[in-house]
Amino acid sequence: MTSVIWSILGGVANVGLVLLVAPLAQGILRRITARIQSRQGPPLLQPYFDLLKLLGKEDIESGEAPVMQRLAAYLGLASVLTVACLVPMGFAAPMNGAGDVVLLIYLLTLCGICTLLAGLAAGSTFSLVGISREMMTMITLEPLFAIALVVGAVHIGSFRLDTVLRGSVYAAQGLPWSGVLMLAVMLLSFQAFVQRVPFDISEAETELMEGPLMEYSGPKLALFKYAQMAKLIIYSALFVTLFAPWGSGLIFPIGWLLFWIKIFVLVLLVTVVAATHARYRIDQAIRFFAGLMGVSFVALILASYGY
Amino acid sequence: MIAREMFEQFKQRFGPLILRADLPSDNRIFVFVDPSSVKYVCQHIFRDLDARYVATIGADDRPYSGNFLVAHNFAFDKQHLLCSLLVPLPPQNPTIDSISEMVPAASWAEREMRDLVGIEPVGHRYLKRLVLPDGWPEGHHPLRKDVRWDELPAGFDPDREFGFDEPPEGCTVVPFGPFHPTLDEPAHFRLYVEGEMVRGCEYRGFMVHRGIEKLAESVMSYNDIPMLAERICGICGCVHNVAYVQAVEEAAGLKPPPRAEYVRTVMLEMERLHSHLLWVGLACHIVGFDTLFMQSFRIREPIMWMAEKISGNRKTYALCVVGGVRWNITPEIKVELRGVLDKLESEWTAVVGAVSRDKNIQKRTRGIGVADEGLVKSMGLLGPVARAAGVDIDCRRDHPYAAYDRVEFDVITAQGADVWSRILVRAKEVFESIRIIRQCLEKMEDGPLQLEIKDELPVGRIGLSSVEAPRGESHHFVITGENNRPRRWRVRAPTYQNLQGVPAMIKDQQIADMTISLGSIDPCFSCTDRLETIDLRSGSVKVWSQEELLKLARQKVDK
Repeated sequence: MTSVIWSILGGVANVGLVLLVAPLAQGILRRITARIQSRQGPPLLQPYFDLLKLLGKEDIESGEAPVMQRLAAYLGLASVLTVACLVPMGFAAPMNGAGDVVLLIYLLTLCGICTLLAGLAAGSTFSLVGISREMMTMITLEPLFAIALVVGAVHIGSFRLDTVLRGSVYAAQGLPWSGVLMLAVMLLSFQAFVQRVPFDISEAETELMEGPLMEYSGPKLALFKYAQMAKLIIYSALFVTLFAPWGSGLIFPIGWLLFWIKIFVLVLLVTVVAATHARYRIDQAIRFFAGLMGVSFVALILASYGY
Repeated sequence: MIAREMFEQFKQRFGPLILRADLPSDNRIFVFVDPSSVKYVCQHIFRDLDARYVATIGADDRPYSGNFLVAHNFAFDKQHLLCSLLVPLPPQNPTIDSISEMVPAASWAEREMRDLVGIEPVGHRYLKRLVLPDGWPEGHHPLRKDVRWDELPAGFDPDREFGFDEPPEGCTVVPFGPFHPTLDEPAHFRLYVEGEMVRGCEYRGFMVHRGIEKLAESVMSYNDIPMLAERICGICGCVHNVAYVQAVEEAAGLKPPPRAEYVRTVMLEMERLHSHLLWVGLACHIVGFDTLFMQSFRIREPIMWMAEKISGNRKTYALCVVGGVRWNITPEIKVELRGVLDKLESEWTAVVGAVSRDKNIQKRTRGIGVADEGLVKSMGLLGPVARAAGVDIDCRRDHPYAAYDRVEFDVITAQGADVWSRILVRAKEVFESIRIIRQCLEKMEDGPLQLEIKDELPVGRIGLSSVEAPRGESHHFVITGENNRPRRWRVRAPTYQNLQGVPAMIKDQQIADMTISLGSIDPCFSCTDRLETIDLRSGSVKVWSQEELLKLARQKVDK
């Protein structure tokens, strides 16, 4: 019984931590971007104020299906935060035995589906074009993460989520070839998972005017923005856990600090890539993802032969 | 070839069709032809002599000659010759044979002439309203002389909506505009889209007409108009300012002092510098590369400061009056300007180096928005769009004005005909502009800034002026008149032609490429939309009426 309470508490703590840190990461991202662009940039805490401001605005019902729109906003943030419960944030994953890796894949896909719902609810041409792009991206992108998790599962010989997350993609084998391949694949597609330039195609402000989000304002927009910021932290955490676990096993403050340092290094990487690239077109992006998918299948085959 | 030789050719070929001709100088030719022969003569000039179509002007000349007047302007760029084909039309039911089938570039100008002057182009295939607002009654033509400049016609219906064409089968409509993040001014493209592919579009623009030409012809004076002219455009205002003044000077046979010509050249080139830097920034923003957007704006800023030091304004320099300029370039400013140019040159070299190596930008711009030589010729495309397609035209060299005949520079061309080539052309033109300004500062002679004009300007003379704006040739046509103001002043900004090429450029491309293709002509809608009252937003959901909005706006001001 106590273990259940502890895992619930751990999950809540994780959610709190993600909610607390995500806007800060966004603030750092914006500040560094500004510096790269010879600008002053907003204060580090600006994203917190932005969210508060949006949350305090009038809640406008608009678009074709306001109920669905509201649902999409709630569900989007909720699914991201549920993922936060399952992912270790410097400690072991809090929800022990909460399920297998397929659950994680489902939850991550659910986030994307919420964006689709949001676009459908808005019902404008731009949001429809946006969701068609989002859908194409999801179809080619989500399998990459799924394969990464399966590669880890194959190495460990278990589909249990906490076991896979504890053992990373490499399990206890040092650096297997399949793991290295997946590391490369994830590094190259990371920008797309966190929806930043050059892969922010479905929202492309200058083409689609924020696409699926175009009908959102006020509190509901805040929820979406919050979910997007949280995604950056969660995907970073997943990446660190699965692909860069080195040093996380050290005793409490050092291992924990190392984990967060790695996360912020990832945020930095995302920032620099976003600031130095132009946006890809959807067909160019899909071709790129398809290439990565080919590589990750090779990794999967290698993994199943134990390499 | 001088004008006389060309005229001899015309005379041999057309003989009695020519009513009258006027050859004021070696590089201008005004031929009055019979209305029945206009198509035949235009065909010869455009096809056989390979002239470039410039503009069509309709004018109500009834109070003076008793006729309507249509002018088709053509340019012989290699021969450094501008030619105006003038056609007098009877005062009742004026009609003229349309030349738009043979010269597609004339399509808009003929539609505009029909809207505003009421001259019917017979045989035009697509006679839809172009310029007038949706609610304007038929048969009321604001540029006719018997219409007051502030007249609102009876029967104006602010609620009437524009009838858009039916999209082709299997296509959905994506409205691009009237307001869109990448359009800095209102314009409406209705894109016909199949999946992600654009199959066609319909354009409805002219939403910010300010009645500038009518205002000039009815209430302003020769030296007020330059200040009005530069308000045509927020980016290349000085171009219109200079072009108008030059047209008047040409009509009146005035020559400004040399120092004034150098000052004009310097200011025009400074304008090109800041315009090109702005464009490269915007193009990068459109493809999502905001870092270069910010950097080019930072590099551009000192140019704006220099303009402010010279003229008192970052933009809208209020530079010219008829016969001269109003600002001097002092020795101190010369020194400072040279410093700014040096810094700009080194920073821009770094940027161009970075961009030309960047595979990522090339991926988004190569083979996109192609406007090949054929399209350039048929649509009369101008400036960097034409030069990027290998068409070697540049008014600064072909029809020299100000001090351009006294400086050396290269006309930059490229062969790709796509957005990437336009980026390269504009990037390299920045260096040429720097070169021109340096030479001007070197060669500028002392002397007066303005001509002393004692007599009234002669009446009824025609002046043409082509000025190479950052976006292409800006063409001004002036007929001088009584009361110290022109009878007719027509502005043809480069975007007016380039915009007509856009539907062909975006056809069968992805929506994602639409914005950068449109952006690559550096569109300037306010230049294109010069005339008449405000258009009403015609959306499916109408929240405010025009009157309500106006009342609201005035309430705010009154407080």
